[in-house]
Amino acid sequence: MAIQIIKKGIADTIQDIGRYGYQHLGIQANGYLDYQSARLANYILNNPINAPVFEIHFPASSFSFTQAHTICISGANFVPLLNEKSIALYTPIEVKENDVLQFLKPLQGRVAYVAIQGKIKEEAWLNSHSYFANSIQKDAQFEWEASEQPLKNSSNQLQVFKGGTTTIQEIQSHVFSTAPLQFITGPAWNDLTQEAQKVFLSTEYHISRQANRMGYPLKGALLQLNKPNQYLSAAVTRGTLQLLPNGELMVLMADHQTIGGYANLGQIILVDLPRLAQVSNQTSIHFRETTIDTAHKLYQQIEKKFIHRS
Amino acid sequence: MKTNFENINWKLQILGDHALVFSLEEKMSEAIIEKIITLKKNIETFHFDFIKELIPSYHTLTLVYDIDLFYQNNITVKNNQSVFEFGNDMLTAFNSAATNSTIKNAAEKIKTNNNLIKKNSSTALKKIIRIPVCYDERLGIDLENIVSKNKISMEKIIQIHTEETYLVYCLGFLPGFAYMGKVNESIQIARHATPRKEVQAGSVGIAGMQTGIYPMNSPGGWQIIGRTPIKIFDKDPAILGKLKAGDRIQFYPISFSEFKKLNEYK
Repeated sequence: MAIQIIKKGIADTIQDIGRYGYQHLGIQANGYLDYQSARLANYILNNPINAPVFEIHFPASSFSFTQAHTICISGANFVPLLNEKSIALYTPIEVKENDVLQFLKPLQGRVAYVAIQGKIKEEAWLNSHSYFANSIQKDAQFEWEASEQPLKNSSNQLQVFKGGTTTIQEIQSHVFSTAPLQFITGPAWNDLTQEAQKVFLSTEYHISRQANRMGYPLKGALLQLNKPNQYLSAAVTRGTLQLLPNGELMVLMADHQTIGGYANLGQIILVDLPRLAQVSNQTSIHFRETTIDTAHKLYQQIEKKFIHRS
Repeated sequence: MKTNFENINWKLQILGDHALVFSLEEKMSEAIIEKIITLKKNIETFHFDFIKELIPSYHTLTLVYDIDLFYQNNITVKNNQSVFEFGNDMLTAFNSAATNSTIKNAAEKIKTNNNLIKKNSSTALKKIIRIPVCYDERLGIDLENIVSKNKISMEKIIQIHTEETYLVYCLGFLPGFAYMGKVNESIQIARHATPRKEVQAGSVGIAGMQTGIYPMNSPGGWQIIGRTPIKIFDKDPAILGKLKAGDRIQFYPISFSEFKKLNEYK
């Protein structure tokens, strides 16, 4: 075997871009919480960018390698240690047989990714390797078929290909920026009282301790509707801002159910979802309304960075 | 003369930056969900590569799209269309298709004259999916509850639950979990205030005017009146969910021994 879990984390899973085309059957999409950081790790290793990676929360799993691999860690900084020595993020790292990877403490962010160069040896379900519900258990084993993409330069150092460094810096600074989260108003936005709309746009919120892959409940000002919070269920998306009957907000994340019957106030735009995914409980967040044109422009700008590697 | 369709106003809204919602009046209605399903089928015939999901639910159809593929698509790029304009085009196409079928129907009417009812109604043409349910109290653990709260006999509950046909309005909550209605008023009952930690797979429940089947073991608050031995969801990609929005189903009672014989959840 190639990679073994020697200590179980609280909620670690394998994720890729997720499965689409099955939500009409009630099958969730799943997938990376922070698709930008996850794809960045694949990008650095020359993997297909949407390939499966380990998604790590803190306290994190510990890994032992039973053969040599090239790996890359991205997203949250949980202070990764290889054989008890600190290693860099966003960098290809060579690991040898019997090496142990651990995570020491959460310094920045809330979701880290461990990408392995090559291809996972496991069958996909409905075109995706993404886990839902269950997390990775102790003693679980994973096999990766190492690819033979050379990442070495003449002095035998592993390195990121030319042009990659700018992409890494740009995406990293986007993911961890503290600018307001942009959203587009949804079907129930106008059911909020005017007072509630103002409050939502002007006050700060925090992510609650109950946050998980299904949704991030928010702590902050309670909001009121000018009608009962009862709607016929309709499809929701990742990033949907749901108002619960008690006036609290919940942002639906990667493992959200396919439909929902609570007030749909709006959806956070795709480029800002990784930013929300990485916000720690202590950091305050703000929301800002935006338009679909802006959202599409920003999305395409980020996508281009992955496509045009030089 | 105006058709039903033209009398009902479609509303088109964007849902964030990667979905569109087509909606009709917010109402649990057979006529409405049927139009939603027809619009879904209509859009599917175009085979647009940028459409990731078409999710019907009661009075809405949600179209999830890939932003990059949308702008790369020849048709939309040529017309320099926004997603909203694209959605509008889909409604226009549906509108004219509906008109065409109205004309076809009218011609059919003249031709066949006597057999109008069957030909006209898509519901009448649709096959009813029959699902066996064992209403034994060992499995229908909330039957007693409904008997006492609704002042109705157990036999009557079973009779009423099995004599009506139900329409699937949407799937959600769990893979393969179908929300079906409408349940006869005499056996309607609210969800449990505190959900059970685990409801067994195959359990058939009632929540207000809806009835449904738990496809797998799961926490749940519906009032359980019986259990089906039939797997309504299978992870096998060739099977997956056996029920889809717009399907019409009917339950029929089986005995406890038949249940044990047929049980697919072993």
